Amino acid sequence: MYLDVYVYALFSILVFPGTIFLVALAFFTQYLIRKLSARYQRRMGPSYVGPIGLLQPFYDFLKLLRAKEEVVNRFSMPRLAEFALIIGVSCIVSSVIFLPISLLNVATVFDVLIFFYLSSVMPLFAMVIASLSMPSPYTNIGVSRLLSLVTIAEPAYFASILVPVYLATRGDGLFMSISSTYVNFSRLYSSPITLAILALSIIGFTVSIQVKAMYPPFNIPEAEQEIIAGYETEFSGPLLALARLLHDLDLVIALVIGVYVLLGGPAPFNHLSPLGGLVLVLKYLILLLLVVTLKNIMGRYRIDQALVQVFKYGLIPPILAAILALVAP
Amino acid sequence: MKTTLVLDPSSALTIVVAVLGLSILTVSLLYYALKSRRVRVTNVYLSGEPESVVSSVTPSISSMYWGFMKRFAKSLYRVLVEGVHTGSLHDWYRFLSSWLALLVLLAVIVFIASIIAGW
Repeated sequence: MYLDVYVYALFSILVFPGTIFLVALAFFTQYLIRKLSARYQRRMGPSYVGPIGLLQPFYDFLKLLRAKEEVVNRFSMPRLAEFALIIGVSCIVSSVIFLPISLLNVATVFDVLIFFYLSSVMPLFAMVIASLSMPSPYTNIGVSRLLSLVTIAEPAYFASILVPVYLATRGDGLFMSISSTYVNFSRLYSSPITLAILALSIIGFTVSIQVKAMYPPFNIPEAEQEIIAGYETEFSGPLLALARLLHDLDLVIALVIGVYVLLGGPAPFNHLSPLGGLVLVLKYLILLLLVVTLKNIMGRYRIDQALVQVFKYGLIPPILAAILALVAP
Repeated sequence: MKTTLVLDPSSALTIVVAVLGLSILTVSLLYYALKSRRVRVTNVYLSGEPESVVSSVTPSISSMYWGFMKRFAKSLYRVLVEGVHTGSLHDWYRFLSSWLALLVLLAVIVFIASIIAGW
């Protein structure tokens, strides 16, 4: 029995849904974002590398990692930046053991808090530390804008995840557990009030994920052209590859938890059925399409406008959802 | 095919730390095995800023203050400055009789009541 657990643990971390699968999903997601964005802008998007351009993000990553040089100056601390980014990527990879899709699924009370810490808080701090390790005037401005935005967006993201988990698991033995949320997801459809709460959480989630991904209208931390590339201005070569990977993984894991907690994962089917797998993929693509659409139809807010909009549309809906969840029967 | 371990929080944390260690090892090995070894040292480009901009380990406090408090909070303070602190008793009364002030008042009453009731 213990041998099984070790084998499943190793397979979950190294292959599925850990390192290899997550990285492949990050590249595929990046491909879809670039392709869909291109179609919105009447361009072709990635088309030449691999079948229908599928391998373009992988080759871009490989080019940065293998072929490009690392550019440093006397104020740079590239080893610290590498260390921070590796910790960030590893935290996201290890958070998958709490997802019901994992072959070794760990469940405990309040595991959503550990998941949130690993998949959202640590990668953010890792990115900030890495950026500050490669300082420039633009990096500093980008980081201060990023920190300002996440001060509001992270609580919004946290609340929008927490509320459905609370509703689905209250009175359950595994209170505030992601696995239990997946099992009891039908409770969220049980009444119009819980549906309204779910809708408010989805609104908050959508806005906060746009901030986490730093996509328009909340791309002020990297504000291309205005402050060069903001927080990632001084990254180059392998460091830039790692930073981009961390960014993409952050988006992927947020979409995956959104699919499970807000949309019920493979519900009404289960993971092992082909229909369940299809529903899971469809829900992931719907969330991704929402993110890409918002990215392409909106312009960039100034930092003060962005903060107000995140507060209005990102934070207030999940707070209302939380209040409703506490009083809902 | 699939194993679900239902654990107590401390055991779950122990597993998470072990898994995190394994992940760090895997990602580090892959990264250092594949990364390019070429490094180019350049002069730092500061856009006319002093060196103190990059020699400190965190962004300057003033830029964070400017980014968050002064710009974001300005819209919040504006309500108080333009709506309440005008010197007019009417403005002060209008604000106090608004839904926002009633909400604040309600929160204070509930807070005091909860202390008195010993909740």
